[in-house]
Amino acid sequence: MRIDVYVPLVLSLLLAAVSPAVSRRLAPAPAALALAVSAALTAAATVWGLMLLAATLVGDTPPVVDEAREHRFHIPEPVPAVIALAALVALAAGLARLCRTLRAARASRRALRLLSAAHPGATELIVAESAQPQAFAVPPGRILVTSAMLAVLDASERQVLLAHERAHLVHRHARLALVAELAAAVDPLLVPVRDTIAFLLERWADERAAETAGDRRVAARALARAALAAHGGGMRLSFSEHAVSRRVSALQRAPLPNVRAAVLAVLLLGLIPAVGAADATQDFLHLLGRLLLL
Amino acid sequence: MAATDPRDKAARRSPGELESEILATLWAAGRALTPADIQTDLGGGLAYNTVHTILKRLYDKGMVIRDADGRRGSYRPTKNAAELTAEVMHRALDRGPDPIAALQQFVTGLSPAEEAALRLFLTEGGEDGSGS
Repeated sequence: MRIDVYVPLVLSLLLAAVSPAVSRRLAPAPAALALAVSAALTAAATVWGLMLLAATLVGDTPPVVDEAREHRFHIPEPVPAVIALAALVALAAGLARLCRTLRAARASRRALRLLSAAHPGATELIVAESAQPQAFAVPPGRILVTSAMLAVLDASERQVLLAHERAHLVHRHARLALVAELAAAVDPLLVPVRDTIAFLLERWADERAAETAGDRRVAARALARAALAAHGGGMRLSFSEHAVSRRVSALQRAPLPNVRAAVLAVLLLGLIPAVGAADATQDFLHLLGRLLLL
Repeated sequence: MAATDPRDKAARRSPGELESEILATLWAAGRALTPADIQTDLGGGLAYNTVHTILKRLYDKGMVIRDADGRRGSYRPTKNAAELTAEVMHRALDRGPDPIAALQQFVTGLSPAEEAALRLFLTEGGEDGSGS
């Protein structure tokens, strides 16, 4: 148990360490999917591991200890109390972050519903007459673009923008992003993985948009122009170091290959903690069984 | 996939997608456009009749109006819904933890170095579209 229960933590770090390389080398769609699945499994295994560690504290509570003494049973103590306590604290903090993330997701969904409801007509495109250049997808099927954003782009660039947002909708990127967000909430070691996934979802939509436009250069130009307009338009944009530049340069290069072996390796990385957690669970049940039955 | 003829691409677009593109074109223009103007702006592959049909649908949905004082048969986008939407959007943005920031926006913020690099890219990028 001592070893198994710590495996998910080590693998969280490992996943965080390999994710930048994954995003540089692999086609964005399979890379994002593999990382999201692995992050979700690793986060779940981490939580389970922390729960098992924290549960060993129960062995220290007086009734159980007394009972064990009566039966002259020596409680095996593979987990130092400090670590069990730390696990409990980590669990509580994770739970708080999880709640906050879910609340934020709900607030965001509510805002989008309001936006969609405020705009009748059942068109896919929702135009907001605003001087701030802004564009985002409104799941399940609408796209909000401000008049200022439409005005700075030419026809082919507008097509890129619409195709990009459409790709977010069709491939349900909001859902994948939420999975990554929740995984990072309960397991902060996965924060870099979450950021990589967010970046890859944009890259994925960029690639679809470039396919629609039939010209990667047009897609790169649309992105650069929109970013500069938004930057100059006093927008409060979420800042991500070099994200736009990296997307623009990626569009100037050939599409990245879908290396199946690498995708499998990432998935495997996510499976290991799950298996490790299952193993640790068995150890824990064994320990619990001895505690309760003897 | 392989590069496709723009004509095929236009034919493949769904009516909903065409509505978006034509509506976006009208908003971007800042003046009333005739179906022929839109056809020219959107480039190859779109039949005049298609543009006309889509405009009719947008008109029925209250998204465009026929231009009263401009050229005959020209259209401009209606502003009411767009103004209301902007209001709702800004209200959402102003209220506490930014619900829009959580979304995947088309673009994210730029550092000064990035800004300079992107400007260079656009000026070097040859045929500059309609950029401002």
